Amino acid sequence: MGRGTLEKLDAIRRGELSAVENVQQVLERIKKQDKRVKAFIELNPHALAEAEAIDRKLKRDERAGKLAGLAIGVKSNLNVTGLRATCASRTLEDYVSTYDAEVVKRVRAEGGIVVGMNNMDEFACGSSGETSAFGPTDNPAAPGHIPGGSSSGGGASIAAGLCDLCLGTDTGGSIRNPASHCGVVGVKPTYGLVPRQGLIDLGMSLDQIGPLSPDVQGAALLLETIAGKTPNECVMLDVGRVSYMSRLEGDGVKGMRIGVSPKFAELTDPAVTEVIDGAVEKLRDLGAEIVEVELPNLERGLPTYYLIVSVEFFSATRKFDGRKYGKRIEDVCGEEVLRRILRGRYISRKEYRGKYYQRALQVRTLIRQELMRAFERVDVIVGPTVPKLPHKLGTALTPMEMYAYDYLTVPANLAGICGGVIKAGEVGGIPVGLQIQGKVLGELDVLKVMWAMEAAT
Amino acid sequence: MKVKIGFEIHLQMATDQKMYCDCPTNYQDVPPNTNVCPICTGLPGSKPLPPNERSVDAAIEIALMLGCEVITDQTIYIQRKHYDYPDLPSGYQRTSLPIARNGELQAIRIREVHLEEDPGQYDPVAGAVDYNRSGVPLVEIVTEPDIRSPEEGRSFLRTLTRVLEYTGKVRPEAGGAMRADVNISLEGGGRVEVKNINSVKGAYRALKFEILRQREKLKRGEAVVRETRAYLESQMTTVPMRGKELEEDYRYIPDPDIFPLILDKARVETVKKQMVEAPHLREQRLVKQYRISPAAAGVIVSERELADLFEAVAKEVDPKLAATWFRTKLKKVLNYMKLRATDIKFTPNQLSRLLQMVGRKRVTPEQGELVLRELVKEPSEPEELFRKLGLAPLERSELEAAVVKALKENPKAVEDYLKGQKEALNFLAGKVMKLTRGRADPRRITKLLLTKLKSKRKRRKISRRKARSKLSRA
Repeated sequence: MGRGTLEKLDAIRRGELSAVENVQQVLERIKKQDKRVKAFIELNPHALAEAEAIDRKLKRDERAGKLAGLAIGVKSNLNVTGLRATCASRTLEDYVSTYDAEVVKRVRAEGGIVVGMNNMDEFACGSSGETSAFGPTDNPAAPGHIPGGSSSGGGASIAAGLCDLCLGTDTGGSIRNPASHCGVVGVKPTYGLVPRQGLIDLGMSLDQIGPLSPDVQGAALLLETIAGKTPNECVMLDVGRVSYMSRLEGDGVKGMRIGVSPKFAELTDPAVTEVIDGAVEKLRDLGAEIVEVELPNLERGLPTYYLIVSVEFFSATRKFDGRKYGKRIEDVCGEEVLRRILRGRYISRKEYRGKYYQRALQVRTLIRQELMRAFERVDVIVGPTVPKLPHKLGTALTPMEMYAYDYLTVPANLAGICGGVIKAGEVGGIPVGLQIQGKVLGELDVLKVMWAMEAAT
Repeated sequence: MKVKIGFEIHLQMATDQKMYCDCPTNYQDVPPNTNVCPICTGLPGSKPLPPNERSVDAAIEIALMLGCEVITDQTIYIQRKHYDYPDLPSGYQRTSLPIARNGELQAIRIREVHLEEDPGQYDPVAGAVDYNRSGVPLVEIVTEPDIRSPEEGRSFLRTLTRVLEYTGKVRPEAGGAMRADVNISLEGGGRVEVKNINSVKGAYRALKFEILRQREKLKRGEAVVRETRAYLESQMTTVPMRGKELEEDYRYIPDPDIFPLILDKARVETVKKQMVEAPHLREQRLVKQYRISPAAAGVIVSERELADLFEAVAKEVDPKLAATWFRTKLKKVLNYMKLRATDIKFTPNQLSRLLQMVGRKRVTPEQGELVLRELVKEPSEPEELFRKLGLAPLERSELEAAVVKALKENPKAVEDYLKGQKEALNFLAGKVMKLTRGRADPRRITKLLLTKLKSKRKRRKISRRKARSKLSRA
């Protein structure tokens, strides 16, 4: 890695490093390391040609875009024309995209070069990166451990320097969880800020696309590239293009009201809590006001989340009926995907609607209100991202043990608010990420806290 | 035995674009799978566009036409109705909760109106699906079980399609676009639902068959169980649907990718202001405003375009003359050419000028009809058509010459007429018509013939008298 994202961009703009050289270096590293890491499922055969085109633009002083020459990894549940959007499943192993997801269009318009499709948990159903039909991803920051999921390939490729930035997706923590385990930066934007057109669904009312990056500025840059309304999508917030980079500087966290909750420690491994407490102290030292907030229903988020996501996933996967994409999902998918489909099919039955799905939507409203009340008193809420340290690859976990990884990340998805993760420290050499949850469209506050944390380490 | 029948009717709305994407809706005019995009083929990752505003407005207009109360200022969820069929690209169909309730047409209560989308078209023989139709907006109209006989059902469906076609917001039934499910129960029996009906005729036949079947069962003392049956067009019968189709649970969920609809009052008012007048109301108005007969008004409002044309023409010429022409000649010409009023290409002005010529007796009604025929075939100025057809008005001298010639060449007929055989006059008129190549007004011919014949008779009487007096003198 060596230099930060902005420095690299500058070097490319000044001609010290060409886009082609950058992509070549990335491909070289992938070639050397990815047999072990398994962060990519497929590489873009046109990446070098696209880099050449960027270099030509730069040479002629044409506008090449704010990501000009950066190598971008894309999660395999996003459509990139000509590449396979497999969702790391046998179901879609032969599905070649015929169109670019809106976020991919935006990245390309700003000169970003898609180097390949990242590995992930199958259909984003998992928190460890182990459910991919193409094999589990390793954690470069803690080899032999899970990188977290479901954006496992994204987190791992940033940690190993296999690309500059990644597009991940987060339905219940899928960006923040691997960011925490891999010690990188990740942001789950406010629901409705980033267009989902071209994202293959897990839970439509929860999914958001966001950046994974080695540093805060990289995340801010990628986020402002992909954020903002498109008239071609229905369920979006009425927000035009946003700018974070120009507003990151300033007083840092001085005077910022930062919320913490004793609830977090109840659910979290003490070793992780210790690291998080250290980070909170650091923020206090930097001038933030630490405020305790009440989150009495926090742990109800998990069952609520799994009911909602299962029903929506069941609905979303009905198109994989074996007639159009070759394979019927239920016939070829892994255990966790099947479990969610069957659960969704079961609880959406007419006679159970009031009992499960409707009830889950009510609890969701409750959790949203609770968080909104907390945000009346604070600008952000900080705490641990994942309650536990990542397990060793191959360890057998029960479904409930696996789901428990998501306790602290699902509330943000249920409430539709934003959240970011930055490395707070380590436990025995394994990274621990601080989660910063922000208000609806509070991305700037989240980025500011991360920026302050980054500067202080 | 009391019969209760209710309908669920699906009609395609006449919008240019599909419900959730920009693809065109003329699915019948193009090769299979050409009016398609990632959205209407449900490609992985595709998201619907916001619902087509025009189709929402069209559904509001249809609901208002049926006297429904539109549900305003409430969230109306668009739901996913899941079922597994090859023509469904995503494994679910989007259907809205009711957008309107409590209407009435022909004393049949309308329970509710929904927005839906059409699936693609599956060809089981070829094993192929054409997605051109996928996503075409539909309106679903649900009635209360107020219909008492197949005849009443047929009449209701006919009126319904006429009223809705009148709005211009649904595709004409000629396109085979109507689909209906019927619910039918006889006193003492369970309610039977019949699906798969694709026309008014089909609905009538399915109802006829079902009443017969259920009545016979009840007569024999057997129970009519609550079930769902399918109508078989080819055999005009209904058969039970398979168990699996019966137990189907659609697992409705609100579509997370679409904001629920909220129809505000102002929007409904706007639609109300712009919507066309219902045909039955327009009929009454035409009678009053133009003092034309109810019979003529009935014909005129049968098609909206015809009524529009009439009102444009009635501004320029005597409405009564226009009404007579619409009811008789225009309708006759259109029927003869198997055309509908929508197919009319001539302008209201052109028709007005023709009727003015008729009104001023510059042309005869018969000639007028000839011109009208040309006007329908190949619109241009009536005067021009008149010349082209060689119908230029005849000089009096020309007509006189023709009459004289006819009388001279047909002495036998003249003789017969003078002897009191009145039919001979028609024969002579025909001869004159022939001589003038149809340019002369038959009424003028007859008049002139009569004058000439009268004077002939007079002369003959005089000459006879002279002869007699000569004789007497002699």
